[in-house]
Amino acid sequence: MHLDEEEIQRHLDGELPPPAELRCREHLAECADCRRRLADAEREEREVETLLHALDDPLPRIEAEALAARAVATTPGPRFGELTWVRRAAAILLAIGIAGVAYALPGSPAQKWVHAFVEKLGGRPEPHRNGPNSYRPPSGAGISVFPDQMLVIVFRSGRHGGRVAVSLTDNREVEVQAPPGAATYASAAGRLTIEIGDAPAVFEIRIPRSAPRVEVWADSDRLLLKEGPRVTPDGARGAAGEYLLQLPPRAPGSSGSAPRIPQKSPGP
Amino acid sequence: MEPEQTRSFHDQFVELFQAHFPRIFRYVDRLSGEAETAADVAQEAFVRLYQRGSLPDAPEAWLISVAMNLLRNTRSTQSRRLRLLTPARGESAHSDPAPAPDELAEAGDSRLRVRAALDRMSEKERRMLLLRAEDYRYKDIAAALGVNEASIGVLLARARRRFREIYEELHGAP
Repeated sequence: MHLDEEEIQRHLDGELPPPAELRCREHLAECADCRRRLADAEREEREVETLLHALDDPLPRIEAEALAARAVATTPGPRFGELTWVRRAAAILLAIGIAGVAYALPGSPAQKWVHAFVEKLGGRPEPHRNGPNSYRPPSGAGISVFPDQMLVIVFRSGRHGGRVAVSLTDNREVEVQAPPGAATYASAAGRLTIEIGDAPAVFEIRIPRSAPRVEVWADSDRLLLKEGPRVTPDGARGAAGEYLLQLPPRAPGSSGSAPRIPQKSPGP
Repeated sequence: MEPEQTRSFHDQFVELFQAHFPRIFRYVDRLSGEAETAADVAQEAFVRLYQRGSLPDAPEAWLISVAMNLLRNTRSTQSRRLRLLTPARGESAHSDPAPAPDELAEAGDSRLRVRAALDRMSEKERRMLLLRAEDYRYKDIAAALGVNEASIGVLLARARRRFREIYEELHGAP
């Protein structure tokens, strides 16, 4: 089997891998026909290279350092107008970042301002979805969650306890409001936990009439159950018909962070 | 030899320039037939390499690809300029027809003879022949021209044969 054109050319140009080169040499040593073809290719290559030299011009005198300096001098950068826009964009991003941090800081009044502004515009702040990872703790101004099929609101006692006024509304979401800094909130699927601070606090809870089931607990005691149109117990009522609940102070010696929240809401 | 990572990019650039500037210039010069254009293109390719700030994986193929693109752009600009200056010549303005064989014989200019033969080859064959003449490796030729490396040998042999046939057809055996 003779060498093919690819092999001869690669042998000529030193492009054969070592094992193939060895085989090629062995074959050439035995095959006069392939040696002749190789010699023809070599001669042809020499002739062509000689002819091509006729095209050559003198090499220009160029220094690498000069090209490097030219490269540095001509490296494209942002022009004045573009730089202005870059700065503007950076300033806008910085402002958005600062505003976000200000909004998220615990105790920040920014949330109240935003809520007040939105309500003034005729809207309501978008409530937090009542599901895992859907909740970002507010600063104490309040929180709203969708009740879905069932919502358990659990108050964890503070040093001084507090009071809760529960009313029914035609809104779509449960809203809890308290003085700023009075509590912290944590939400999980079907559950809203309110950790009462050390100051006496009054909470307002507005429950949609359309909510299928909402429970209000103080630690391990259920204070209120709203199930369909029915609310139990039908205890003390305020002037506007709201349900008034008492939150007991934390018992001496007990830890405010003890897991006294019911793991499963008692069913009817 | 100094390890790659301990040498600065600048040092690597200088080394690459010294090794490859002559053959990039010669390749573009042979391809274009314009020494001034070739000098500009070869320099600009190295300027762009320096502006890149780091060496590409295959610097030789990268440089030759950039040089070819620059030459294409230069020719395109020249072509537009020629068309604007000599509208009567129309499409043929950017590429003069090769001189007739009898004109070449009279001129006795070997440069024109070789140029005439090269001009009659396809662009791909011409580039392949000239790249190999500058001792570029097959992988670099394949990368620069976008062809399969496995068949470079056959394509090179064909290009060389074609050039010789055309040359003989025009001027007789060299």
